[in-house]
Amino acid sequence: MRGLQLPLTQTQKVRLQRALEKLESLPSKANSNASVTVADTIPVNYDDGFLKGHGTTELSGEVVATVCGVVERVNKLVYVRTLRARYKPEVGDIIVGRVIEVAPKRWRLDINYSQDAVLMLSSINLPDGIQRRRTAEDELNMRGIFEENDVICAEVRGFQHDGLHLQARSQKYGKLQRGQLLSFPPYLVKRRKQHWHYLEEYGIDLILGCNGFVWVGEHVEAKDEMLVDQADKPDSQTPKTIDYSMSLEGQEQMYTPLETRQNICRIANAIRVLSMLGFIVTVEVVMEVVNLGVSQNMDTHQMLGSEFCVLVAEREAERRSQKKTKG
Amino acid sequence: MNDLSLGEKLFIQGGIAQDLRSDGRKRLTYRPIYVETGVIPQANGSARVRMGGTDVIASVKAEIGRPSPLQPNKGKVSIYVDCSPTATPMFEGRGAEELSTELSVALQRCLLGGKSGAGAGIDLSSLIVVEGKVCWDLYIDGLVVSSDGNLLDALGAAIKAALSNTGIPRVHIAAEASGEDQPELDISDEEFLQFDTSGVPVIVTLTKVGRHYIVDATSEEESEMSSAISVSINRKGLICGLTKRGGVGLDPSVILDMISVAKHVSEQLIDRLDSEISAAEAVEEE
Repeated sequence: MRGLQLPLTQTQKVRLQRALEKLESLPSKANSNASVTVADTIPVNYDDGFLKGHGTTELSGEVVATVCGVVERVNKLVYVRTLRARYKPEVGDIIVGRVIEVAPKRWRLDINYSQDAVLMLSSINLPDGIQRRRTAEDELNMRGIFEENDVICAEVRGFQHDGLHLQARSQKYGKLQRGQLLSFPPYLVKRRKQHWHYLEEYGIDLILGCNGFVWVGEHVEAKDEMLVDQADKPDSQTPKTIDYSMSLEGQEQMYTPLETRQNICRIANAIRVLSMLGFIVTVEVVMEVVNLGVSQNMDTHQMLGSEFCVLVAEREAERRSQKKTKG
Repeated sequence: MNDLSLGEKLFIQGGIAQDLRSDGRKRLTYRPIYVETGVIPQANGSARVRMGGTDVIASVKAEIGRPSPLQPNKGKVSIYVDCSPTATPMFEGRGAEELSTELSVALQRCLLGGKSGAGAGIDLSSLIVVEGKVCWDLYIDGLVVSSDGNLLDALGAAIKAALSNTGIPRVHIAAEASGEDQPELDISDEEFLQFDTSGVPVIVTLTKVGRHYIVDATSEEESEMSSAISVSINRKGLICGLTKRGGVGLDPSVILDMISVAKHVSEQLIDRLDSEISAAEAVEEE
């Protein structure tokens, strides 16, 4: 874990050290034979043909690891997968990305990967909801749908000849507004069945992108566009530009209500603390951390302080050791 | 990477208007401040200050020099800030030049006062060895390692911590000299005088977003600002320097209001910073 940049008092340092040692001492499920460090020999059956993959090299007749990680074998390929690798997209991953460029018939998104992802105009639902062929006018109006720097939730469709393609065909995907985007190392988000969570008691959407981008925002009803009356449309849409001629009071009415904002900040801070400590981020853990903060009667901003950090570490150590004794 | 979508910008502005910022802080709350002193052993004094994502290092080097003939009873101090490319890729090559000059000038104005040396936050007459002939030149260098907003406050705090960590070697005058000759000096390697930093001011930056002011803005909040005022205030509550950034004009009554808010915030900041600095020095001595 990277050095914690917090002013910890002596007692807090001791407590944190103890909690981390407890976590490290818990036996992990994975087969420990599979993990290697640099210059470890990889056990390979030399009689069968095999291919040396990433993270391996041949040294005086032996296959030796060049990185620290876990040995993976796929048919004849032997490679070492590092734990803190860059995000590697798989088909069906739900990701959160930011639009960098609007190109002919597509948008380019930054998704914390070595390439930019591509979202084709044909892979999204048009605002009016009608399934039709995209015309030249649709192409000219692309900026009206997604602009530069917009935050978008989408799903990985696959690798095509010209890069990584995404799709946003369901009502759940699309532009994300009224919230905040958090970014942290992608290895802290494990692939689960559900990445898109609606927390009802807070009225908040929590989207855990597999690429390490997490969106915490106000809940937006995924309404079926076709049922909305055409006349109501101009009122319900949020204005595309900040209208400076609109009075400040009018702007204030559009702000997120304080209660929801408080919850958004708590959840965001919980995720920040977890990523600072290097713990896996899942909805259950996040909710536990939020409840811990509430039960300690802490101000929201104190959740980023040193005391809370140590508390979270201790709580996580307790929780994992309890899980071990149960299961 | 300060490109934000419209929804995120509105969210930040709404948070500031409702007194609940993105990380839960109130408008006038600082991030946790982490101070380490003595990080550069070769310098006379040094300190590293971290405020959230912002990380700066300040170092003080003292050299013997001649005082300027216009001010024969004052030492000289020069402040220079460098923004390292490790902070953001934007700082590579000449990208950071404008920002570095702006920060250096603002710090000079806040800590050193006017051209005549009057009203300086740092007491320059304590740097004199022999009046008119020998004085200490202090070279204060700041390095921005990581930038997440509020660089000026962090640099001001780092300079204050570095100065309190500074030891000026004791100088014995070996031989008196008359007229224009330089006296011979015996610079001790063992004994050091601690620099007196009770008068050194601290810098408080107030960023105006919409109708409200916030303290200690992150770089996202700074991208939304209309203007910002940095006030340097010392322990007695006196203003040592004032800088305004940002293109939007401010009404004078607004500026006076911001100054009074800054004064109010600075009292807590000075106390907090002093306790952090003494804690850091205690750790260093261990």
